[in-house]
Amino acid sequence: MTTLSNHVPDPRLITAYAEHRDSPLHRVNPWTKFGIVGALVLTVTVADALAILVGVYAATLVVYGVAGLPYKRLALWYTLPLLFIVSVAGPLAFLEPGTPIGGALGTPLGELSVTWEGAILFAELSCRSLTVVTFALTATMTTRYADIAYLLGRTLPSPIDQVALLTYRFTFVMIETLEDLVKAVLARGASLSEFWANRRTYARILGMTLLTAIERSERLVKSMEARGYDGDITLYGDVPRPPLRELVAVVACYVAVVGYALVAVYGVVSL
Amino acid sequence: MAHIHLGEGSFPLWALALWTAVGVGLISIVVYRVRKGGIKTQHIALAGIGAAASFAVFQLNLPVWGGIHMNLTGLVGILAGPTLGALVALVVNIFSAALGHGAVGLLGANTLVNATEAIVAYYIFKTLLGMDWDVFPASAGAATIGLSAGAILMGAIIVISGVNGSALPRADLTVAVAGLVGLNLGVAVIEGILTGFIVQFLASVRPDLVGLTDRQRGEDEPAGVTA
Repeated sequence: MTTLSNHVPDPRLITAYAEHRDSPLHRVNPWTKFGIVGALVLTVTVADALAILVGVYAATLVVYGVAGLPYKRLALWYTLPLLFIVSVAGPLAFLEPGTPIGGALGTPLGELSVTWEGAILFAELSCRSLTVVTFALTATMTTRYADIAYLLGRTLPSPIDQVALLTYRFTFVMIETLEDLVKAVLARGASLSEFWANRRTYARILGMTLLTAIERSERLVKSMEARGYDGDITLYGDVPRPPLRELVAVVACYVAVVGYALVAVYGVVSL
Repeated sequence: MAHIHLGEGSFPLWALALWTAVGVGLISIVVYRVRKGGIKTQHIALAGIGAAASFAVFQLNLPVWGGIHMNLTGLVGILAGPTLGALVALVVNIFSAALGHGAVGLLGANTLVNATEAIVAYYIFKTLLGMDWDVFPASAGAATIGLSAGAILMGAIIVISGVNGSALPRADLTVAVAGLVGLNLGVAVIEGILTGFIVQFLASVRPDLVGLTDRQRGEDEPAGVTA
């Protein structure tokens, strides 16, 4: 039976963790978490040693645990990122030149084998990807709705910020609409177990979801204009600047990554 | 929806900077055009809730090849148009990256791929409707071509960038990526057909949404010659 997927993070669950739980990570300033995401992206891009990548990944897993977030869910949510890694890094593990692990398998096109270099590349790509996936989820699951909305409003230019704020607000509504439509179809005896045989049912569910979205947007326009919307959705929340110790920690992260890249990776500076 | 099927850190730093710059350039052009034309409240609302719907649809697991997920980017392009479609692509990618799907550092590349899908689908759809095609083949064809363009662009971006830490020559990398692009082309056909059915459904209940009002009015008018 087709349902809403459990290997795609549900924004409602993520928001529930952010709103109703408490942990040291929940008390960290949202700007700090935003800054750390950037530092991690830079780190996994420039780091070229498996040991460092494994270390950074392990650290993010520890942080995820410290935030009191569920590892079992995380494992399910890894499905799509891992699928993406396998879809490209899988063939690379075979094609990467190097020393074969074990023997080579004879095929009509030639010998096929996973090389040590290919296996290491696969492990590196997995660590790079999962590090940021884990921390991005940690950040969203420990940052309150109002704070994320504030960050969206402050970081994106107009009118992208307006679109993003409405998207964030209505994502929850649209998921519930879709869920209700699926339940209604199943309650009326439909089977969604096979796509091709039920393609018109799928089209109706998705079409109705979009139609609901469009009709809701038409009602929203009237309500926005009635309230004097002038291109700016007012946000009443406020996210203060990070405290000094957090600011120092973020700057230290960037200095460490840039320093490591300049010295160890690109060899621009020699010690 | 095709997007860069590589996780964070898979591209070298120069490629990350390049695709981010290209993505920012594209979005800057879109924002400039939107601001210059004077954006209406209905466009903001449509783009915002359309992106929310696209994001919600991604939660649905379709039982094809063990389960696939779609964002219906081609459909968003057909309904919202090229400029709003590009903005929706960016916003959906931002939210996806925040949930660990896609990548923060590849936002530029992924937005480029998805915006291409929406823009190509829109123009192909309008062209086919102008050639008096029926709604289903026009929308299915437009979405398939748009998504295919995105899948090919995705493959090209990976081959141009190279994979971080890989010593594989570009020719061999092209072979590895070709399989992924082929898989995406298969999904593009499925998503294209589904888009065709959805647009057909929407046209039956709200023909104005897919620009068919004028066409129907034209059909209602007497042709001037009757039997």
